[in-house]
Amino acid sequence: MKSVPKLIRRFTGLLLLSFVLLVAVNLALLIVIASRQVGTASPWATADRVAANLSRTETGFALSAAGADALQSSGAWAVLIDNDTRAVVWHSENLSASVPSRYTLPEIAGLTRGYIDGYPAFTGGTEYGLMVLGFPKGSFWKHMWPSWDYQLIAHAPQIALAVIATNLLVILLIYAAATTKALRSVKPVTDGIRALPSGEPVRVKAAGLLSEVALHINSTSEVLQMQKRQLQKRDTARANWIAGVSHDIRTPLSMVMGYAGQLQSSPGLTQEERRQAAVILRQSQRIRNLINDLNLASKLEYNMQPIRRREENAVALVRQAAADFINDDPDGKYPVEWTTCPSLSVCRISADRDLLKRAVSNLIQNSIRHNENGCTIYVSVAEAGPSCVICVEDDGVGAADAQIKELNAAPHYMVCDENTAGQRHGLGLLIVRQIAASHEGNVLIGHSRHGGFAVKITLPMIKKPRP
Amino acid sequence: MNSAYLKDKRILLVDDEKALLELVASILQDGGYRCLTTAGSVSEALSLSEKTRPELAILDVMLPDGNGFDLMAQLKQKGDYPVLFLTARGEEEDKFRGFGLGADDYIVKPFLPRELLYRVTAILRRTYREEPELVPLRDSAIDFSRAEIIRNGEHIPLTAKEHDLLSALYRSAGRIVTIDALCEAAWGDNPFGYENSPMAHIRRIREKIEENPSRPVSLVTVRGLGYKLIVEDK
Repeated sequence: MKSVPKLIRRFTGLLLLSFVLLVAVNLALLIVIASRQVGTASPWATADRVAANLSRTETGFALSAAGADALQSSGAWAVLIDNDTRAVVWHSENLSASVPSRYTLPEIAGLTRGYIDGYPAFTGGTEYGLMVLGFPKGSFWKHMWPSWDYQLIAHAPQIALAVIATNLLVILLIYAAATTKALRSVKPVTDGIRALPSGEPVRVKAAGLLSEVALHINSTSEVLQMQKRQLQKRDTARANWIAGVSHDIRTPLSMVMGYAGQLQSSPGLTQEERRQAAVILRQSQRIRNLINDLNLASKLEYNMQPIRRREENAVALVRQAAADFINDDPDGKYPVEWTTCPSLSVCRISADRDLLKRAVSNLIQNSIRHNENGCTIYVSVAEAGPSCVICVEDDGVGAADAQIKELNAAPHYMVCDENTAGQRHGLGLLIVRQIAASHEGNVLIGHSRHGGFAVKITLPMIKKPRP
Repeated sequence: MNSAYLKDKRILLVDDEKALLELVASILQDGGYRCLTTAGSVSEALSLSEKTRPELAILDVMLPDGNGFDLMAQLKQKGDYPVLFLTARGEEEDKFRGFGLGADDYIVKPFLPRELLYRVTAILRRTYREEPELVPLRDSAIDFSRAEIIRNGEHIPLTAKEHDLLSALYRSAGRIVTIDALCEAAWGDNPFGYENSPMAHIRRIREKIEENPSRPVSLVTVRGLGYKLIVEDK
């Protein structure tokens, strides 16, 4: 299914976007939080400020008001350790008694990294010694032994990128594995859904994530198959019924036609009686044609008519149909004109010979039926691009535009599921349409340039083989 | 065409419908056929065929004790004569089956009396040719056995192609034979090769059979469709 790769692309895109977004948001958060830790609020900066605000007086040391404010606002105490003696030479007033008043060098190194008596200690340098601020206990956590490999810091950007890339790869791998597994269970399901409209039975293996969906597809297919079988059964029954009725009518109708035919030429009858016998015969023939048409139309409609197609020459085939008609029309009330271009002698089509001849003769009969007073019938075959056009037209009464429009558009009552009270036209044209359709062709009804009715059957032509 | 000699041919009619048997017999009798035997079942047909040795059988397909196709096979074992099916089964498969088994013709009920007569006569003529037969035309006669035309006492030989074309026209005498059917008759079953045209041959045939070849009366053209051979006593 084409939409599945599209779906995967979309999800992968979304995933990558989320990842990039996540990294960006994290960075932003880190920057915001870290920025609060640095700057003026930093304990190191406070220590430096206090150190800068200490000055020597005649009696000792004095902290300016700004220094005192900084100390007070941070709640810290401060001591100044003399450079030489490493003894406390000045301290703020809020100094806790537990804070030592003298320091060894290791102690100074230690407090720089950590705490004095549990107070987080921060230092600032002055020209007189080391200023040490002790912040309230629990106010800061200090890294005791922070040291980094220089290369690590030097290559930090590359390392960060590599870490991000590795993360991305891992996420993609996890996603690909998960998707492949999901896809493996989705593919049979999508294949199954796609196969459903074809009308063929569908059987999806019910396993994996979508086993429930697979089961539903299978049961849907079963329902469709059952409906198809029922429809076919009904169509077959209908076609068989029509075939049965038409079969049963044939023998009694033989009797009617046979004796009427004999009476028609019986010398013992009056001319009027013979004429009446002729009418019986003619009407019986109409009944015969009707049941033949009905039978053929129902078989074509329900795909029960075997269609034996082979390569035929449409010109020869239509010519034979026209000749057959003239041969069986002794009184010549309906002359047939062959109007095919004389240079066209071959037009290859793939056709069932008998059916196509039947279509042409139906069209000729159609012209006759609508022109009781006689008409000339024009039959032709022509090539039009990739198609073969068989045209039967007449110079008879023709039909109005509205009628032609209806003939071209409205379905025949036999294949129409609506109210058919208004339809009264015969089966001849329906059969022509059905035959054309079974040959991938179509039928167009229109006005003839000779003044009457024109019907064109267009059929696909077989390409001429290169000599 | 002289078909009087055919009227004495023995014809066996088999159908389970008695009324239809009567009708067919009556049509054939009207057509001049005198030697008719009727049977209503396979067994009756087989026993009658022993006695009468028919020269043509007209069979229904559906019979009370079997079917016409099997009956035909049994009849053909005993004697080689033509069989015509006359049946209400109009399905293509039945027709193909009948022809496939060797039937000579297949007529679907209901039928016109003259259609039946025409086909029976055609089968008999095909099967029981009376040689030599002279086909009378307006200005001449055709002697197919010698492949020549007799005009004004003169014997004009026909070429092989002219003979083939005339035979095809004569088989459907009085009816249009299409150009395509003529080509097929003379040059074989090749509906797509039109290197051959019957026109030149037709012209030469006319020179032989017609008094005035440019105004033909026996071999007439049906424009665009084909030609028609007019035989005099038909």
